[in-house]
Amino acid sequence: MLEIKDLVFSVSDPEAPEKGAQKTIIDRISYTFEKGKFYAITGPNGSGKTTLAKLIMGIYDLTSGSIFLEGKEIASLGITERAQSGIAYSFQHPARFKGTTFRDLLSIAAGTEDEDKLAHIVARVGICSLDFLDKPVDARLSGGEIKKVELATTIARNPKVAIYDEPDTGIDLWTIDPMVQLLKKEQHTHGTTTIAVSHNRAFLSAADTLLLIKDGRIAYAGDLEGAATLLEDLSACGYGDTCEGESDVRCYR
Amino acid sequence: MFDAIDKDLLKAVADLEGIPKGAYNIRKNGQLLGREVSANIIIETNDQGNGIVVRIKPGTMNESVHIPVIVSQAGLHDVVYNSFIIGEGSDVTIVAGCGIHCGSAKSQGHEGIHEFQVGKGARMKYVEKHVALGQGKGKRSLNPATNVFLAEEAYAEMELSQLAGVDEADRVNTAELSAGSSLLITERVLTDGVQKAVSRNEIILAGENSKANLISRSVIKGDSKQDFYATIDARAKCFGHIECDAILMGNGANETVPSLKAKHPDAELTHEASIGKIADEQLMKLMSLGLTYDEAVNRIIQGFLK
Repeated sequence: MLEIKDLVFSVSDPEAPEKGAQKTIIDRISYTFEKGKFYAITGPNGSGKTTLAKLIMGIYDLTSGSIFLEGKEIASLGITERAQSGIAYSFQHPARFKGTTFRDLLSIAAGTEDEDKLAHIVARVGICSLDFLDKPVDARLSGGEIKKVELATTIARNPKVAIYDEPDTGIDLWTIDPMVQLLKKEQHTHGTTTIAVSHNRAFLSAADTLLLIKDGRIAYAGDLEGAATLLEDLSACGYGDTCEGESDVRCYR
Repeated sequence: MFDAIDKDLLKAVADLEGIPKGAYNIRKNGQLLGREVSANIIIETNDQGNGIVVRIKPGTMNESVHIPVIVSQAGLHDVVYNSFIIGEGSDVTIVAGCGIHCGSAKSQGHEGIHEFQVGKGARMKYVEKHVALGQGKGKRSLNPATNVFLAEEAYAEMELSQLAGVDEADRVNTAELSAGSSLLITERVLTDGVQKAVSRNEIILAGENSKANLISRSVIKGDSKQDFYATIDARAKCFGHIECDAILMGNGANETVPSLKAKHPDAELTHEASIGKIADEQLMKLMSLGLTYDEAVNRIIQGFLK
């Protein structure tokens, strides 16, 4: 359904001793996401999870590789064309706008200003009330509120592929489970291929497949149970290779 | 009574499709074109014959008065002095605005000097739109001034906008607030080409618990320039806030100078100012919802100036 092939993303490395050196963030990742499945992408900070998600949406330009959506090459397309092809993206830190309301964003996302249709989407998302529609999406919204707006605009796209970058950032504990249930419901009723970048166990358990990214590569792809040892390893310490024990605690733990 | 140009201008500055309901005074090319008064709103030519005096009777509720100005005569520079006396406890909306239609190479302009005396406990909403249309190459200038005096517990909300076609604008807003009164000014200006707009604002918070909130939204396209100066001078226990945001597009230039003067120990004054291009994250969000780059820019500007 969505196939990524030999994806490479590198940036110039200002810390490298020689000038013009490149740092590889995503290192030849290939994977095929199947239609209607739920994927969780996890891994240590800086491992390349968000970068991978942004490469799929076209927010970052690939260094090399290809991306196929339903067999059609989309790596050469911009964000707009990818969105129009059926990919939707929920940002980890959503943009805030002066003067633009939730209604404005939802209308753009759904392609309609019809009150009943918008109300229907709000009801379908279920995590924010109707009176929320006319709130400006500006600095006054709390971190949790703006993530709900982000989630609603993603779902309103009726996407073939929905990518959620850390959807639980700023969301209270009591809303995380309903949020996971919502994504599952969308997955099942609309056949949405769902990709959630997350550290949260609730999302990892909900996923059909877990992708563990480490050092820009897929270190593991499979169910949560099979990833248990690897995850425990990561949760204990991400500095295993360089650790010199108590004598030199470079991780500032 | 109205020709096609008049109708376009009236629609643009006052959302009028024809003769407004209620009281009105329409001025065209320096002359009175039409006037209607109501039981509670009296409009008279002033003693000097260079403007009007609008008197709102105390206690008048939910009435409006339209006072649009049309300048369509080549080479005309119209200067008008209008006074508004808003009676105690009343609640009114004043819709002003000036539309210039320039069809020649001669310059045209309008200077509306407006003074408001808002009585005790009265509420006034003032809406002013400035627009210039027409294919003529003549310079179109609009240099308005508003001077507001708020009595105790009075409230004034002012929406000032200039969204197209004005080559030069030099605006001055002053206000003096008595105890318990509040003022909200929202100014929206869009310039393009080589247009220039300057806005100078001087607000004096004289009375205890007076409140002022001054919001400026500027969009500066092409090679245009906008400058915004705002001073809140706090002389009592009061609250004042200035929020000025400017979006630069093309080679637009902007100077924003908010100034806060606390002359009383219990004054609370804040300001926030930002100048910059449209944020990438905003564009990406809207493009990820299927809009093109240009559509995304337009939506962001529309919302910003709404």
